Amino acid sequence: MNKPEFYISAASTISHLPTFKNVGFSSVIGPLEANSVLITPDYKGYIEAGLLRRMSKILRMSVACANDCLEQAGVEQPDAIVVGTGLGCLQDTEKFLNTSQTIEGLLPPTAFIQSTHNTMAGQVSLTIGNHGYNMTHTQNTLSFEHAMLDAMMLLQEGDSHILVGAADEYIEILTEIMAQLAPGQDGPMTSGSSFFVLSKERNEQALAVVKDVATIGLVEDVQQNVGDFMADNALTIEDLDLILYAGKDNFPGNAVDYLALSGIYSTASAFALHYAVDVFQTDKKISNVLICNSLRKSNLGLMLVRAVEA
Amino acid sequence: MGVRVTGIGIVSAIGLTVGENLRALREGKSGIGPVRYLEGAKASLAGEVKMSNSELADELGLAAGPVSRTSLLGLKAAREAWGDNKRSGVIRTGIISATSVGGMDRSEVFYQDYLNKTNPDYDLLKTHDSGSTTERIAAELGISGYINTLSTACSSGANAIMLGARLILQGKLDRVLVGGSDALARFTIDGFRSLMIYDDQWCRPFDESRSGLNLGEGAAFLLLENTKSFALTGNRTLCEVSGWANAADAYHQTASSPEGKGATMAIENAIEKSGLNINDISYVNAHGTGTKNNDLSESVALKNVFGNRIPPFSSTKAFTGHTLAAAGAIEAVFSVLSIQNNLIYPNLNYKTAIEETGLVPVTRLESGNVVNAVLSNSFGFGGNNSSLVFTRHE
Repeated sequence: MNKPEFYISAASTISHLPTFKNVGFSSVIGPLEANSVLITPDYKGYIEAGLLRRMSKILRMSVACANDCLEQAGVEQPDAIVVGTGLGCLQDTEKFLNTSQTIEGLLPPTAFIQSTHNTMAGQVSLTIGNHGYNMTHTQNTLSFEHAMLDAMMLLQEGDSHILVGAADEYIEILTEIMAQLAPGQDGPMTSGSSFFVLSKERNEQALAVVKDVATIGLVEDVQQNVGDFMADNALTIEDLDLILYAGKDNFPGNAVDYLALSGIYSTASAFALHYAVDVFQTDKKISNVLICNSLRKSNLGLMLVRAVEA
Repeated sequence: MGVRVTGIGIVSAIGLTVGENLRALREGKSGIGPVRYLEGAKASLAGEVKMSNSELADELGLAAGPVSRTSLLGLKAAREAWGDNKRSGVIRTGIISATSVGGMDRSEVFYQDYLNKTNPDYDLLKTHDSGSTTERIAAELGISGYINTLSTACSSGANAIMLGARLILQGKLDRVLVGGSDALARFTIDGFRSLMIYDDQWCRPFDESRSGLNLGEGAAFLLLENTKSFALTGNRTLCEVSGWANAADAYHQTASSPEGKGATMAIENAIEKSGLNINDISYVNAHGTGTKNNDLSESVALKNVFGNRIPPFSSTKAFTGHTLAAAGAIEAVFSVLSIQNNLIYPNLNYKTAIEETGLVPVTRLESGNVVNAVLSNSFGFGGNNSSLVFTRHE
């Protein structure tokens, strides 16, 4: 049985590198430098000023990327909005934790309201007035892959265009926490957001083809699972033109550690997907790309994408 | 086509097992009371599970180490739903849980010590992320592969059931444990207080005098199976989950629209998906939190969908408190029990109909009519509205 394929009709990323509205970024960016910062666009172009004022970093990134995507794809209302986030709205969570433990009496509610994991998907639906399916997946390092799987199922069930994305934000206390819990972790912790329009049919905007996505929680043998996944798609590792990986896996051939570009956050594999999409626009020799996400050793996320045939 | 429900498990303020919950529902006995277990809670009333963390850990036989109450409750309910099912090389098994704040009950303990500089225990944060409870349950039950967590505030539990049913119908999984877990936390109590919708008296869903919710805690799981899995496990079918829908209200980050737009869409689409007619719904287990806003908006949505033929309906929140992400799963178990036992539960603490809508919920236990189909509503922050339909398995 042939597996259904889906089309990425738009992609948008805000990260520590010049990825936003910058087609071809994959050929010009290099590894993150120490002390890099989030590169943000002028949000006023994407978010109404009144809303913008109250929004945390993760909300700004998400709503801007989401709106940019819809504009690129020429889709006014997607059939659904599906978001993955590993740790959710940390800035507002910490803010409300702090005020609730230090202030007596009535507390300002905004940080609490915006602390729930579904705030990104909710805010996107609010800003565009979307009444469709609205979902938030949060399975630490596999949150984005799970969002993708959900979006692909929705297209199978009859939807046409899904807005699917991911976001995670860095807050300062994370540095202290990780120094305690995971001393010696290499690479900087960063913030990032990537959104995509995933479409059932190929259209003029098609940037890439999503062949398959898999998540393997509590994985035991990564190599075995990668092999099975490739076999499932009638391919071998040797058929791949590029492997984007996170973690300590060793791959033959043309392999790039995407964490060196994105920095470390739970949903950095969404950055990798946009990177792959961008590579297809700039390097016509690249056709098959595997994104292999072992950011957390016990979790394996796999995404197989290919270039759109001319 | 529906998906078989073959196992249920629950822990809530009204009981530590399915049997205890059913008994309290029959007896009309609320589990909401003065806060006994959560230290430093700024609430006079809440629906606590009547076991301490150490009692739960002992009963579950857990080794020492950081574990959140959300995980303890989740493990307890998941074990009951899973029963003596075995891991299998041929049945593709997954798990989807739901939570709103994950291990916040531990994180807030850490954070207080962190602020006070009194030797904070960083290990407590290992249970913060929402996915950790699901992974813990999966590891315990021998489930690997599809392990996922949803977080859409108060509709999360219903969404886990919906996603599980879709995965089965699309042939991605043969068997999936679905549900949700949320422990009471000072964070959420303070949060609902800041919104001025935490009632210091008993919550009064669908009553004109309602003035807010009482939070609760708990967990519930359901085991869903396809024909292949069912043929191998030989489990008894309790009922089917046959309809589901999710719609965004897109009105306000926390408030529901006065015309109940998202809720109306969720209810209508779930019934349509089930293939039933609106007249086939025997009972509506409402979201009914007891806030001014939700109950009015939900009442309007019920009128939008059912006109003047609204089925018997009630909210069970006055039994359990509002258990946030667990609510959809807990009320799904109540819906299964409703069908199994032909029961319609009373809406406790109700006296006077809401002026604008005049809807009167069921106020006494009804056991005289056959219950073939139950609609269960779950509406949340962010305008996330979900409805499920459960039907008798023929």
